[in-house]
Amino acid sequence: MTDFIKRLMRSPQGAIGTIIVLLVLVAVAFGPYLAPHDPEAMSILARFKGPSADFLLGTDQYGRDIFSRLMIGARSTVIMAVVATLIGTVVGALVGVTSAFLGGRADEVIMRTVDAVMSIPSLLFALIIVNLLGSSDINALLAVSIAFAPGMARISRAVALSARKQDFVSAAIARGEKPNFIVLSEMLPNTVAPIIVEMTIRVSFAIMLFATLSFLGLGAQPPSEEWGLMVSEARRYMHISSWILVWPSLAIALVAIGFNLLGDGLRDVLNPKT
Amino acid sequence: MSASYLTKRVALIFYTLLIVSLIVFAMTQILPADAAVMMLGENATEEALAALREQMGLNNPVWTQYLHWIAGVFQGDFGTSLRTGLSVGPVMVEALSRSLLLALFSICLMLFIAVPLGILAAVRRGKIVDMAVSLISYVGVSLPEFVTATLALLFLADRWKLLPPTGYVPLTENFWDGVAHLIMPAAVISIILVAHVSRMVRSEMVDVLHTDYIRAARLKGLSSRQVLWGHALRNALLPTITIVALDVGYLLGGVIVVEEIFAIPGIGRQLIIAIQARDLPSIQAGVLIMAATYCVVNFIADILYSLLDKRIQYD
Amino acid sequence: MTSDTAAPVLSVEGYSLDYLTAKGPFHALKNISLSIGAGEIVGLVGESGSGKSSLAWSIMRYLPGNAHEVSGTIRFDGSDLMARSNSEIEAIRGKRISMVFQDPATSLNPTLSLGRQISEVLIRHQGLSKKQAWAEAEARLAHVGLKTPAQMMHRYPHEASGGEKQRVVIATAFACNPELIIFDEPTTALDVITSRQILELFQSLQQETGVASLYISHDLALVASTAHRVSVINRGEIVEQGKVGEIFTRPQDPYTKKLIAAVPDPSVRLAGSEPDYAAKPLAEVENVSVIYGRKPFFGRFSKKAGNHVTGNRAVNLAIQPGEILGIVGESGSGKSTLAKAMTGLNKFEGEIRFEGRPIHSIADMSDSYRRDVQIIFQHPDASLNPRKTIGDILSRPYRLYTEYSGKAMRDEISRLLEQVKLPASYAARYPHQLSGGEKQRVAIARAFASQPKLVICDEITSALDVSVQASVIELLMELREEFGTAYLFITHDLNLVRQIAHRIAVMYRGDLIEIAPTRDITAPQRAAYTRQLLEAVPVPVARSAP
Repeated sequence: MTDFIKRLMRSPQGAIGTIIVLLVLVAVAFGPYLAPHDPEAMSILARFKGPSADFLLGTDQYGRDIFSRLMIGARSTVIMAVVATLIGTVVGALVGVTSAFLGGRADEVIMRTVDAVMSIPSLLFALIIVNLLGSSDINALLAVSIAFAPGMARISRAVALSARKQDFVSAAIARGEKPNFIVLSEMLPNTVAPIIVEMTIRVSFAIMLFATLSFLGLGAQPPSEEWGLMVSEARRYMHISSWILVWPSLAIALVAIGFNLLGDGLRDVLNPKT
Repeated sequence: MSASYLTKRVALIFYTLLIVSLIVFAMTQILPADAAVMMLGENATEEALAALREQMGLNNPVWTQYLHWIAGVFQGDFGTSLRTGLSVGPVMVEALSRSLLLALFSICLMLFIAVPLGILAAVRRGKIVDMAVSLISYVGVSLPEFVTATLALLFLADRWKLLPPTGYVPLTENFWDGVAHLIMPAAVISIILVAHVSRMVRSEMVDVLHTDYIRAARLKGLSSRQVLWGHALRNALLPTITIVALDVGYLLGGVIVVEEIFAIPGIGRQLIIAIQARDLPSIQAGVLIMAATYCVVNFIADILYSLLDKRIQYD
Repeated sequence: MTSDTAAPVLSVEGYSLDYLTAKGPFHALKNISLSIGAGEIVGLVGESGSGKSSLAWSIMRYLPGNAHEVSGTIRFDGSDLMARSNSEIEAIRGKRISMVFQDPATSLNPTLSLGRQISEVLIRHQGLSKKQAWAEAEARLAHVGLKTPAQMMHRYPHEASGGEKQRVVIATAFACNPELIIFDEPTTALDVITSRQILELFQSLQQETGVASLYISHDLALVASTAHRVSVINRGEIVEQGKVGEIFTRPQDPYTKKLIAAVPDPSVRLAGSEPDYAAKPLAEVENVSVIYGRKPFFGRFSKKAGNHVTGNRAVNLAIQPGEILGIVGESGSGKSTLAKAMTGLNKFEGEIRFEGRPIHSIADMSDSYRRDVQIIFQHPDASLNPRKTIGDILSRPYRLYTEYSGKAMRDEISRLLEQVKLPASYAARYPHQLSGGEKQRVAIARAFASQPKLVICDEITSALDVSVQASVIELLMELREEFGTAYLFITHDLNLVRQIAHRIAVMYRGDLIEIAPTRDITAPQRAAYTRQLLEAVPVPVARSAP
């Protein structure tokens, strides 16, 4: 484990990604305790303030401290993305691995159907589901999970198939091992790594997707501190102060970059070839 | 490429659209309110509602409704909009033409930037240029369209007045004004694609530059330039066709956001309006058309690939 | 042929090369001195990692960024190659020094026509126009024995056979009448008969042009039959060099001696006691056919069309208890397919009988059959799960077939490791911490854990160096002495199979051509294909050794 972390920190992507993601996780866990101001405390006198010693990143249209709002908002933004990606990955991996295991016609039908679902842009898919089910956190979560599942299914299937072709799996079959041993003990340990890498990178897409949903008014609702919603609300006041627009945008980008970098770092470390 | 392959490939498009139509239809069935209430409003009388339900076939079993709808689609009739009362098909097709213009503009812009960037990074692997490209691509891939669009509007249009803000001007009306209105939306859409495609081109190119045949070409005494243009480029760019085609799915998603922000009356904006108004026939038509676009693009990409790469033999 | 008085075409003196790695410099070449005169063929023999390819890259001035030339000179035609500028080197490569590579499948650009790939050299170095170059290239292809050069010019690499492609590569190397050609294992990737033809082509072209040649190979027998002089390289050092006859008959250096001793020689039999042919056969294969079915739809990107590929057609053979039955054939002959059918990895038609019990399908393969019939694969890297320790890997057969568990099982695993001459402490290691030969020993140990009656060896030594191969074979022979195990030994190495097998089965394109006792394999009544195979194999070198 320590060796693993050492190797992860050796690559620039891995090191920067880990640091960013750790900082984000700190904000998620302790955001409410670390926020210097009450994120809902409004002040008519302190509207549209630029960054200062008191208000690190300035204030918004109601005079609320932007930094505090971002700290609180980390929770809803990041946790939702991680959970949705997790659900999408589990569902997708189940479909993909099953399809690879079944093989033949069943595999073909399943994968063609997955392809068909993928021909609907995931944003559109999520938009429709959220709208039809009503905009709430749970529905948004569901929408993004469903939108992610087909892509993960494709990847897990490809990974499972390549593991299936390995000689050590052939050796296990020739030895007379039971199918569940082959899948769980021989194939799974060799498929988890690429799936984890893909999942990490997808967290950043999920963050962007949730933010987009909120931006279009179909995710989190005011006065939530969700970052996409903050950008959306700031749009009306951007002529007065660009800070209120820039900070939440940067926050979204930073977290997305963090997960992207971490994913690439993990890819290098988990690749047995290196 | 054989005729049987083409047949299979076309059959696949129909299978995809069948699945998409089932998904879309199923999704609209879970809607809590019914279409008649939506059309006539909450205060409509029971009799009026019942009459409309009868007229729209809402009392029929679900599968008859589906068959009725799909039969109409095959004849080019996507139904009537619950919001405007207009026929959905022509509205959507007109919107699609505007979106396709935007998409095409974005793809061209993207290729124009991404391909040279990827090649440059691969050739100068590990050097400053490579790191710069890699940084650009990390940042680019992490910026949602609504963020870049909003920032672009704030700075390019509002602050510095370099480009016209929102709106759409048909090219036939005023060509240069139309183009000027397209630049910002297209640039916003292409940012993420540039980031993704340039990374793919780079990694393909790096792989190709490490192959035995590139080494063999160098050892035949060809110059780096001859090797790059004559031997490596073609092999590295071929897979890009497939990657770009698959990215069209993402691009269509971007089109939705960008059209909404820049007020371009394309299919994305139509869809948002339809979704917000819960205008079922419009939603169904829009999704189906988007999926069909994606399928056709990928079909073309497959054909193009097989024409350019002699190794591929479809059976 | 060798003219000692004239200045050599190539002379390398006191050359050392390091690769700078994160763990410090790696000494790839140490104080190399080597010269090649006009018209001379110098063989460079070494095992993988010996630095023989590094020397080729140094001469071609094609070194990676982390290469550091510590000392020495490389002189070509009297002038210092190391002092030449980039563009001067580009003008020399392909024109005055050219190269033939190991695998024609990867050294030709898949998306350019063969004609384009040979004519571009003529355009670049001879200043010919496109049209002139095309015509000249066609003549060159005719000269290397390609029957339809005009058509071949328009073909793409995937439309030509391996032998044809290598002829194109050779024609390209000879195109500008160079003074020196480096041949880097030019026949290793080819089948036996094709590689014989390529070798003959090389010899006739070399005699005709008198080009100085550096012939790099791991194959001692091959080099002995081609080169005038030979240098043996081991871990970056040339340990011995001299005339071919002298080195192979009176080697001085211990490494050379070991290497020569390790080369399979059919006249030195290792097979051990003959099996009892009167006894009931251990395993019988009757009319076994394997047909690879329709390609799935997503397999449409496959390189070649062709829906039904026959792996085996009605194969019949029998193995006696304790017999070593060799199966030889070129790639695609179906020898591995048979191994897969017998171990339940491929569906098959027909009947397999094991100790008289009939088996018609994979479902008929009982636990006792699985225990008695074990398989070892070609690549030990792929056949050991990289995420499990050696101990875990070896515990599986005990868990499946025996009552052993806990400490008793660990003791058994230690004993097993010692039996394959590995320290018992290896049980705690992971596969990537072992060398190729050690990994193959682990795979052998896994197969022998259940004390099987038949072990199928599918090309188990072809990924190994010749000295490692010799020790693995020695181990197999010892294990057979001890347990009386029968082997189905699949290989493409005829000399090796003639050393160890009691009988040899010859396969060709899915058909079993014949089975013959090893001592009769050279008899004139053998099938034409068998004779062709045997004739294509180079004469082993050690035969004349005292």
